[in-house]
Amino acid sequence: MKNFEYLEPRSVQEACQLLRQHGEEARIFAGGTSLSIVMKQGFFQPKYLVNIKKIPDLTGIRWDPKRGLTLGALVTHRELETSPLIQETFPILSQIEEDVANIRVRVMGTVGGNLAYAEPLTDLPQILIALEASIRVAGPDGDRTMSLEELFVDYYETSLRPDEILTEVLVPTPPPRTGIEYIRFSSSSVIDKPCLGTAVRFTLEEDLETVRTARVVLGCVAPTPLRARQAEALLEGKRYEVQRVKEAAAFASRECKPVSDLRGSEAYKREMVRVLVTRAAPRAFEKARAFRGQV
Amino acid sequence: MSRFITLSVNEVSRRVEVEPRETLLEVIRDHLGLTGAKLGCDIQVCGACTLLVSGKPVSSCSFLAVDADGCEVTSIEGLSCNGRLHRLQEAFIETGGLQCGFCTPGFILTAKALLDEQPHPSEEQIKKYMAGNLCRCGCYQEILDAIQKVAGRRAVQNG
Repeated sequence: MKNFEYLEPRSVQEACQLLRQHGEEARIFAGGTSLSIVMKQGFFQPKYLVNIKKIPDLTGIRWDPKRGLTLGALVTHRELETSPLIQETFPILSQIEEDVANIRVRVMGTVGGNLAYAEPLTDLPQILIALEASIRVAGPDGDRTMSLEELFVDYYETSLRPDEILTEVLVPTPPPRTGIEYIRFSSSSVIDKPCLGTAVRFTLEEDLETVRTARVVLGCVAPTPLRARQAEALLEGKRYEVQRVKEAAAFASRECKPVSDLRGSEAYKREMVRVLVTRAAPRAFEKARAFRGQV
Repeated sequence: MSRFITLSVNEVSRRVEVEPRETLLEVIRDHLGLTGAKLGCDIQVCGACTLLVSGKPVSSCSFLAVDADGCEVTSIEGLSCNGRLHRLQEAFIETGGLQCGFCTPGFILTAKALLDEQPHPSEEQIKKYMAGNLCRCGCYQEILDAIQKVAGRRAVQNG
């Protein structure tokens, strides 16, 4: 690893100022699970490393029945996995975290880092986008909020400006009759990065048969997490039917843009998207029908 | 560029001069001479470099030493007490949970973290928690036996 100057701001404002001062030569450091690898391999050699872990405002998991769930950027994967509050309100997040990487990465890696690093082979973004999460971003001129979907631009590229910091993730309280299913598919060992990850979320009308909102969010099959909008449009406003799910899954399979790599060929991944959307949808539907305030 | 950090290593306070780019593994091995933790994959996959920081398992190959300033670090050298091995170490010997021994410090520290969190884990919980430690000699069954032995012994003691 090349040497760098190590900075430890004590507030978000101070961190933003450091980032503005040093521009592209600086990089935010939190859990370091991803950044340390590219720094050791020499792909990325920042002159200034801005460790934000000493900033108390960025920690903590909060829940408000009206506002929803707020995750500080420094919340770790392991905290999501083991937090009783998460297990009670968003058990889907705890369940998926059990399968993220390994215990050491979950102890160190943070939610904010996972999102802001924009690694395409990861799990959280699909689930959070399906739940219509937004993020809070702090900059030298103040805060702004945007949908999480808007964060992702390309492989490892986000819409954050160099002097901005992702400070919080907000997950709104799910509307009544909402269900979500996420299937993480790994084509090699279970501790490998996912080959693909498919989130399907439904919110139903009061008849418990008609789909009011559908989200089909695909991960690892495009430079960014991808909403299969044609698949969603096909499902929304109509009765839930097996045949329609099959058609939507076929749309999703065409909408994604996977590349062939060691985890599978393009054709294989497209086929697995079709299979996993078909598999996740009925589970999401049944969960929505049985909704009791948690997803 | 270099700076002083203070670590509690196996309950002994150590002041070390480090450069920002140095990892906790480098400091523990090269500055402090504790060579139990090993450099394996260098990308947080194998678990050979596992240390406990504030009681939690981390990949010390990817943990910046400057970031560990003020932390409590436990290495395999800190487990024995007055020349007596930790019961996990004894159990690994009894069941034959090692051959070459390269991965063993990482496995034992991870198992310690697990048992500190959950004194009586199920077989499934053990397998899940330990899944990120790799043993090229393939002693997985014996390692599982060793951990279950300690968990079971505790169960009897507590019961």
